[in-house]
Amino acid sequence: MNAAIIGQMAISGALMGLVYALIAYGFQLTYATSKSINFGQGELVMLSAFFSLTLTNLGLSQHWGLGLSYGLMVPGGLIFGAIMGLVVERAGVRLALEQKSEGWILLSIILGLFFFSAAENIWGRDDRPFPTPIPEEPFHVLGLAIGPREVAVAVGVLGIMGLIELLKRKTLLGKAFEAVSADRDAAELMGISATRTVMLSYGLSGSVAALAGILVSPITTVGPTMASAIILKAFSVAVVAGLDSGFGVVLVGMFLGALESLASFYLGSGWREAPGLVLLILALALRPTGVFGKATIRKV
Amino acid sequence: MIRQTAIGMMLLAASGLSAADTVKIALTGPFSGGSAPMGVSARDGSKLAIAEINAAGGIQVGAKKMKIEIIERDDEAKNERGALIAQELAAMSDLSGVIGTVNTGVCMAGDKHLMEKGVTKIICPAAGSASMTQWSKAGVKDLSIFRFAAHDGIQAAMVVEEAINRKFTKVAVVFDSTNYGVSGRDDMLDQIKKQGNKLEVVAQEKFNIGDKDMTAQLLRAKSAGAQAILIWGIGPELAAVSNGMAKIGIKAPLIGGWTLSMSNFIDNAGKNGNGTLMPQTFIEEPITPKAKSFIDGYHKTYKVDRIPSPVAAAQGYDSVYLMAAAIKQAGSTDTKKIKEALEDLKEPVKGVIATWNHPFTKWDPADVTTHEAFRREQTVMGMVKDGKVVFGNDADRARLIKSATTATPAKTAAPKAKKK
Repeated sequence: MNAAIIGQMAISGALMGLVYALIAYGFQLTYATSKSINFGQGELVMLSAFFSLTLTNLGLSQHWGLGLSYGLMVPGGLIFGAIMGLVVERAGVRLALEQKSEGWILLSIILGLFFFSAAENIWGRDDRPFPTPIPEEPFHVLGLAIGPREVAVAVGVLGIMGLIELLKRKTLLGKAFEAVSADRDAAELMGISATRTVMLSYGLSGSVAALAGILVSPITTVGPTMASAIILKAFSVAVVAGLDSGFGVVLVGMFLGALESLASFYLGSGWREAPGLVLLILALALRPTGVFGKATIRKV
Repeated sequence: MIRQTAIGMMLLAASGLSAADTVKIALTGPFSGGSAPMGVSARDGSKLAIAEINAAGGIQVGAKKMKIEIIERDDEAKNERGALIAQELAAMSDLSGVIGTVNTGVCMAGDKHLMEKGVTKIICPAAGSASMTQWSKAGVKDLSIFRFAAHDGIQAAMVVEEAINRKFTKVAVVFDSTNYGVSGRDDMLDQIKKQGNKLEVVAQEKFNIGDKDMTAQLLRAKSAGAQAILIWGIGPELAAVSNGMAKIGIKAPLIGGWTLSMSNFIDNAGKNGNGTLMPQTFIEEPITPKAKSFIDGYHKTYKVDRIPSPVAAAQGYDSVYLMAAAIKQAGSTDTKKIKEALEDLKEPVKGVIATWNHPFTKWDPADVTTHEAFRREQTVMGMVKDGKVVFGNDADRARLIKSATTATPAKTAAPKAKKK
C-alpha cells in the first residue's frame, strides 16, 4: 500500500489516541495522591458529555448561537466533571482508603454502573449528535486529510495536561499535591491535608474526564455506551506507560491509536482491538511498572 | 420500563375489559436502542390506526363490534428477547395477531414459535430477505407469517439499478455484521449478477454494531477505486460511514437499504447525509389527502414535527388495516381463521401507502412473494435533503399519487419468477 494511506491511518489514529492518553492521565492524577483509581471513569466521561450536550442545547434554545453556547458549555462541563469526581471520591474512595481496604475498586465500579443507569433513564439509550462550532471539512497537509475536530482534540488534550502540570510545579497547591504523592505521611506531618489533596486530585481527574467527553463526542456521538470501548484502551495506555508519567501516556496513547487504525486497515476491522491487548500483555510481562514508570522500592 | 408496561397491562386487564369483548393484537419491536426510530414509528403508526378503528366502534366481528386491545412488547432489537416474547405471545390462547419486528435477527429467533402455534403475524417493517426465505428453505407447507415491507430483494434490485443508471462501474459493498447486513450484501451481489454484471465490486467491507470509526474500511474502498458505496446497515453506523466519507473526501453517493431514512442516520450524519439514496415505501410529503391526514395525525398525536421513520409508521398503519380487514372477513378472532382471510382478502383495503387489492395469496414454499405485500411498483427512491427524506425523482411522486387513488392490480396470478 502506498505511503499516503499509511500516513493517513497513522495520523488519524494517533490524534484519537490522545483521548486515551487524556483519560489515562486522569487515572494517574488520582493514583499519584491516593494510590487509587476510579474504575468508573468511563461513565464520568459519558455523563459529562451528556450534561454538556444538555447545556449546549439549553444555550441554543435561548438563541445564543452555537459559538457562545459551546463556549459557555465547556467550563460548565468541566465543573460538572469536577463535582462528579468529588462525588466518587466521597462516596466510593475515602472510606475505603481510611480503612486501608481495597474496597474502592468495587465501589468505583458500582458508582459507574449507577451513573450508567442514571444516564439511560435521564437521556435515553440512543446515540445523539453533539453540536460543535468546529467545522468538519478536513484540510490537507502533505496529502493527508486532517479534521479540525481531531486537531481540537489534540489541542485540548495537550493544553489541559500542560496546564495541570504547570499547576503542579508552580503553585503552592501543586507543591502540596506533589508532596502527598511523594510521601503521604511526611506531607501530613508538614501540615498538608492529605484528604484535601486527594479531593483535589479526584476533582481534577473528573474535569479531565469531562474534557475527554466534550472533545470526543462531536466525532463519535454521545450515548450511554460511548466510553465503554475507549476506557479499556485508556487502561491499557495507563498500564503500558506506567502510572506516573504524563509524558509517557501521551506517547503511548498516540502509538496505540496509530497501531489500532493500521491494524484495522491491514488485518481487517475485526482486529482493531488486538494490538492494544498484545501491547498490554507484553508490557505486563516485560515491564510491569510501565515503559515510562519508575520502579518502586518497597521497604519491608 | 418493562415492569411498568406489565403493571399497566395488569391494571388494564383488571379494569373490567373482559377478554371476550376485545380483539387482542400484539405490537412488538425495539422501542429503545439503535433500531428504536423504526420500532417506535411502526408501533405509533399502528396505534394511530387502532385508535381510529376503536373510535369508530371497533371491528365488525360476526354480529358484534369489537374494540382492539393492544399488547405491547419491547424486544430491544435483541434476538434472545425477541425469542422470549414470541414464546410468550405463542402461549396466549386468545391472541388474534401480531404486528411488528424491525430486526431480521429477531424474526429468525422468534417467528418459529409463532409459526408452530399458527399465530398470524405481519412482519413490519423488518426487510431482511432471510426472515421469509427461511420458511421456503424449510419447505413449510402452511405459514402464518406475512410480511408488510419492501423486502431486501426489491430494495437491493433498486440500489443496484440506481448505481447502474448513474453510470458507475466500480462499487464497494459495505455492510454490518448482523443477519440484516450480511443478507443485504448477498442480495446486492445477487442483483449485480442478475442485472448483467455491469458493476465491478472492488471492495467488500464489514463493520460491527457500535463502530464509530470507519476510516479503515472507507480508505480500502477508496484506494480500490470505488465510485459509489452500496451499503446495508442501521442508522448510527450508517451515519458513522457517511461522516467518515466526508472526512477522507469520498464524494461518491451512499446508496443502500431503506434504513438510510432513519432519523438517527439523518441527524447524526447532518449535512454529510445530503444526497444519500434509499428505497422507500412512504415519503413524509402530503401528496394525497389520506397521506396528509396520516402525517398530521402522527405529528399531533405524538408531538413531533418529523416522523422518526415515516416508512415504518406508514407500514405499521396499513398493516393494522389489513389485519382488521382480515378479522372482519373471517368473522372471528381466531388467529387461524384470520390467517386464511389474510391470504384471500376479498375487498380492497385503503391504506396510506396504497390501496391494497388482494395483497397476499395462499402460501407457496416455492414462491415467498405469496406472503409478501410489496412489489417494485409500491417502492420509490428517496433522497436525504436537509434533514428530511424527499422523493429522489418526480416521476415516482406522480406514480405514487396514482397508485394511492387507483387500486393496485390484484395479484392472484402472481408470476412465478424465481427459477433456480
